[in-house]
Amino acid sequence: MSGVLARRDRALTPEETEELLRDRLGEAAVVGSVVEYGVFTLRIAQEHWLEAARRCRDEPLLAYDLFDNLFAVDMREEGFDVVTVLYSTSTGNRLVLRTRCAGGREAPTCPSISDVYRGANWMERETWDMFGIEFEGHPGLAPRILTVENFEGWPLRKDFHLVSRGVKPWPGVKEPAELDEDGNVIERVPRIGDAPGPYELDKVIAEQAKLANPVPEPVTAEGGNVEELAQDADLASDSGQVLTSADEQAAEEAEAQASDVAADVAGAQAQDLEQTAKDKAEQRRREQAEARRRKAEERAADADDAGAAPDQEGNA
Amino acid sequence: MGVMDQIELPTPIKYVFNWGRKYSLWCFNFGLACCAIEFIAASAARHDFIRHGVIPFAHGPRQADLLVVSGTLTDKMAPAVKRLYEQMPEPKYVISFGSCANCGGPYWDSYSVTKGVDQVIPVDVYVPGCPPRPEALLESIMRLQDLIQGESLKERMERRRRDPITLAAAGVPERESTT
Ligand code: SF4
Repeated sequence: MSGVLARRDRALTPEETEELLRDRLGEAAVVGSVVEYGVFTLRIAQEHWLEAARRCRDEPLLAYDLFDNLFAVDMREEGFDVVTVLYSTSTGNRLVLRTRCAGGREAPTCPSISDVYRGANWMERETWDMFGIEFEGHPGLAPRILTVENFEGWPLRKDFHLVSRGVKPWPGVKEPAELDEDGNVIERVPRIGDAPGPYELDKVIAEQAKLANPVPEPVTAEGGNVEELAQDADLASDSGQVLTSADEQAAEEAEAQASDVAADVAGAQAQDLEQTAKDKAEQRRREQAEARRRKAEERAADADDAGAAPDQEGNA
Repeated sequence: MGVMDQIELPTPIKYVFNWGRKYSLWCFNFGLACCAIEFIAASAARHDFIRHGVIPFAHGPRQADLLVVSGTLTDKMAPAVKRLYEQMPEPKYVISFGSCANCGGPYWDSYSVTKGVDQVIPVDVYVPGCPPRPEALLESIMRLQDLIQGESLKERMERRRRDPITLAAAGVPERESTT
């Protein structure tokens, strides 16, 4: 390794770095490259992984002498990517190498670069611990260093199932605020099982959780009360209707009382609010009384048959 | 402890004895995450729990009476907590400080976090919050002192022998409002 050629003012550009590595490793070794967020990433073919790391360190023009980081990315169906970050103390360049593991999701494997960078040793152990990627040529991945020794499964894989969520799924919704067509926020009470994970098992569990935690019926003690009140009001107004045919004046009073109850039912605001609200309620009361009277005239004949008018007058 | 946990002390002696115990709690801080910072704040000049008779940063668990577990307990760490707790001499008290130590807190569904320190060791006082303010720790210390003042060591030790993990029905006495 030589620090003679690599200097901060002579650092290679990303294009030159790629060209150099293609030249040293062969065209097939470098699968692709991209500069994202100011970081230069080179995709390396799996077979050339170890050789690429060695070249990056030993090539005088590159001199990536500082091993920074190594981790993996779950690429879902495509398997796993292993990513390592290298830094050159002489040129100040940072380089990201990335490779796709062989073996798909079932048995991902990757060559170990712990021979080249000793710091990669524990990084690879951690990556194995979290993703279950076997690093070939590593001096010893076990025992697990981040999870407990008898831990089962690979927790950072996307299909790893969190046991706690099996009992109680994530209680939130995916989007905190959803908008309808007009751009208004849809108020939605988050329900258990609304935000299942990406895999089939998650969806099944979320469905089961929904079944096990049904939405409570809107009929509460209050709701029952409202219904009762409505019935009372109906009765009262019916009796009022009976009277309209008999005595106009008494009917007015009965109507007013009946629609008082009805107004209560329609909303507590008629009671609670101040004068303006009361005026509105008065207006509505009158309308309701009109409607009832018309209905009452239709039913007047039946009510006469019942002959209970005097009693009901007392009730009303 | 000798005979202290064998015989029921006469009430006046018990009163003085417990009074002495409650104002000399050597505290062993098991700081595991962010909550530990609040513990340190409570021990520093502004809140200063030495004035309550709690002496922070015991030299080790063998010199401590009170264990404050503040922070996120992971499954990997749990054996260490249990081991250090077992090294403490009786009578020993535990405060679980923060949501993480109480029940796993924000990490309730994590693969690695123990869902509460009370799964490993018995807890006397729980302090809710993420993180709780130092005042909450002071409150919990005063509650613990009330508990110590009112308890009978003999009963406590009998309960401990029967059921080493839960402090069944130990119960912290209700404090009168301090306003
Ligand atoms: S309860 Fe909150 S503040 Fe305390 S350790 Fe847990 S995450 Fe940190």
